[in-house]
Amino acid sequence: MTNVIEIRELRVEYPGRNRSEPPRVAVDGLSLSVRPGEVFGFLGPNGAGKTTTMNVLLGFVNATGGEAFLFGVNVREPIARQRIGYLPELTYYYRFLTAEELLRFYARIFGIPRAETDRRIDALLKLVELESVRRRPIKTYSKGMQQRVGLAQALINNPDLLILDEPTSGLDPLGRMKVREIIQRLKQEGKTVFFSSHELGEVETVCDRVAIISQGRVREEGRVSDLVAKYRCDLERVFLKVIGYEPPSGN
Amino acid sequence: MKPVASPWAWLALLATAVFSIGCTLHPRTAAWRERAASGSILQVVLGEGRRLFANHFFVRADVYFHSGYYPSIFDQAQKPAPTAISGTHERSQDHAQEHERQMAFLGPPRDWIERFGRHFRVTEHTHLAHGEEREMMPWLRLSAELDPQRVETYTVAAYWLRTRLGKVAEARDFLREGLRNNPDSYEILFELGRLYFENDHDVVRARNLWELALRRWSEREGRKQPGEQDLFSLEQIAVRLARLEETEGNLARAIQLLELARRASPAPAALDAQIAELRAKLSETSTPR
Amino acid sequence: MNRVLAIAGVVIRELYRRKDFYVLFVLTALITLLLGAVNFFNDPKIVRYLKEVCLLLIWISAVVIAVTTTARQIPSEKENRTIFPLLAKPVTRWEVILGKFAGCWLAAGIALLVFYLFFAVISESRGGEGTPAPKAAAATQVAPGPQAHDDHAHEPGCCNHAPASPNPWLVYLQGAWLHWMMLAVVIAMVLFGSLIFAAPSSNATIMFIVIGGILLLGEHLNKVALRQTEPVQTILQILYFAIPHLEWFDLRDFIIYDHPPVAFGPCALATAYAAAYALLLLVAAWLVFRRKGLTT
Repeated sequence: MTNVIEIRELRVEYPGRNRSEPPRVAVDGLSLSVRPGEVFGFLGPNGAGKTTTMNVLLGFVNATGGEAFLFGVNVREPIARQRIGYLPELTYYYRFLTAEELLRFYARIFGIPRAETDRRIDALLKLVELESVRRRPIKTYSKGMQQRVGLAQALINNPDLLILDEPTSGLDPLGRMKVREIIQRLKQEGKTVFFSSHELGEVETVCDRVAIISQGRVREEGRVSDLVAKYRCDLERVFLKVIGYEPPSGN
Repeated sequence: MKPVASPWAWLALLATAVFSIGCTLHPRTAAWRERAASGSILQVVLGEGRRLFANHFFVRADVYFHSGYYPSIFDQAQKPAPTAISGTHERSQDHAQEHERQMAFLGPPRDWIERFGRHFRVTEHTHLAHGEEREMMPWLRLSAELDPQRVETYTVAAYWLRTRLGKVAEARDFLREGLRNNPDSYEILFELGRLYFENDHDVVRARNLWELALRRWSEREGRKQPGEQDLFSLEQIAVRLARLEETEGNLARAIQLLELARRASPAPAALDAQIAELRAKLSETSTPR
Repeated sequence: MNRVLAIAGVVIRELYRRKDFYVLFVLTALITLLLGAVNFFNDPKIVRYLKEVCLLLIWISAVVIAVTTTARQIPSEKENRTIFPLLAKPVTRWEVILGKFAGCWLAAGIALLVFYLFFAVISESRGGEGTPAPKAAAATQVAPGPQAHDDHAHEPGCCNHAPASPNPWLVYLQGAWLHWMMLAVVIAMVLFGSLIFAAPSSNATIMFIVIGGILLLGEHLNKVALRQTEPVQTILQILYFAIPHLEWFDLRDFIIYDHPPVAFGPCALATAYAAAYALLLLVAAWLVFRRKGLTT
């Protein structure tokens, strides 16, 4: 069976700010694969290369070297993104649109027929609990409501792979719980979820497998239970050990 | 830090301050307000730059007269004089040809862009007619509004109003307004005299105005060097007044005026013939039967 | 195509939900109506000055709407990060460019339609064009002296009177059409600029200067070049042939002075020229945008 995500020896360099400054390596020979139906946690400290890797998968940034595939299609091809949903960490959607209009717009992008669009919009707005405000402009929404609109737009095409970039950042505990519930539900439906997060407790709860990256390379990859067993500590300590953090003596 | 007073006290204090400053500044702004009251809002806002706009609007009227066919500052040929819209000046056949020559500013296109571009610009030399001359009036009105000392605006507008648009009363009012703004203008007096003579057939008023125009001409132009004098206007006034006196039977005065016109005319031969004719008439009438 | 239209739809929605268009329309209508209320020598049939002012305001408003709407499209997508969920869908960057262009162009077209309808109503309501001169004018005209001529227009061998347009609506339609075509070039140019200049304000300012410069000087650059020395002459000649000649699309004089419409051939050629130039600029914009890295 084809892996949902396949990354081989990915390398991304950003040019220096001026000619004298050498290019900055954001991802350095990163390889990983995500199998269908998995909830995959993509972990790493700030600046480790998580977002850059996601940007390559989504076609925002071109790789300097290596290759990446979604459902076996090179990420350079726009069609590779036909079956994915993406929720960015922080996005202000078109503020002058209502939630319903926004979802209709994205549905049109996917070429979903009108009747099906209506059905999905109703179902998604019910799922993210925005039914009562569906005709209100997004600019009047709270941050949590905007994040839920984001989740709804990520699901409009009924994706087989959902890429979530720190989906719970900035949400209150209730909001986080709802996102977790949705991820669990998608997992039950057999969808693949690839998400980055700093909330390790959350990752431990919902993920089947994780990859911990540091300085642009995968340092550790495996099932959460296997990693916990291997390092004989909880996921947070595993993370700190893998990235090479040395706690001050006495702690 | 505890507030020293309630917000209402601060508000009252600020209101008092604003009122006091307002009272202090009020007399100082009197000069400005006087200036504002002296003219139109456009004059106040534009200051001396208004003359520039007045000139632009006057030229705009000329552009309208030529239905948009007008040279830009980049066109090689000489621009037609702004007086082209003026019908007040006497014209000859040669003038028409000269005007045509001046307005042939386009020439052959220099390249394909210019050739193609000519489809999208007015390239036919036409003039307003059949009452469409009215379209120039707003620009002339605005020009006069901005520069009331520009005498030509009044005479040109009045000419079109009375001769082509049948608006004699409006032309008279406009000339009177011009005269109020330019009491020394012999040009306006002359045009007003034409209006009384040609449209109202009021010979007495026309004579008085033209006589006054001659006096004003002497006062203003008499002091100038011979080469700098406006002899064209002098000839116009004198010839018109001479015609009037001739029709009224005052042949001696008519001869006197034609002699004055002769001194100002670049081609006195025609006037010489007329003077001779009038002298003959005068001698006929003075010879006792 | 559906994706392009979807993106264009959002741009159009943005235009009519923002206040810019309404403010400019109200301003244009207000100034025109105020000027229309001014009494010039008790002649209610005077209309050309009103047409000129109204058309000038329409041109300014249309360019302002086109430039400001287009200039903020891609920068605001980046700033608000809406570009990321959009590009995460199966959308190519060419479709984004095309969608933004189509949206801005259609939005400008809708605005133009409203403006020109207002213009047509105003100018036709004044009427009185081409009407014969009042008889009183001829009656009161006193024959001038032997030297005098009323005006050179009446002299033999002199120029003609302005021909009255057979159907003013045809000229209005042509004027509005070419105006819209010109906006296609303007919008493509601004879209390209928005990928070069980071800030929408700097892009808009530069584009206003460029558009104003082309409209005022574009057609005269060859004449100006003749009076220059090398290398300025060559530079000006190159500029003259390279710039989009937006002045071709300005039929205001035809509308104001009631000239007959431009022949079909040149009008179609000008339309093709605008389409080709707009496409050229869109491809240039795509070339800049397609490899541009977008970091979240």
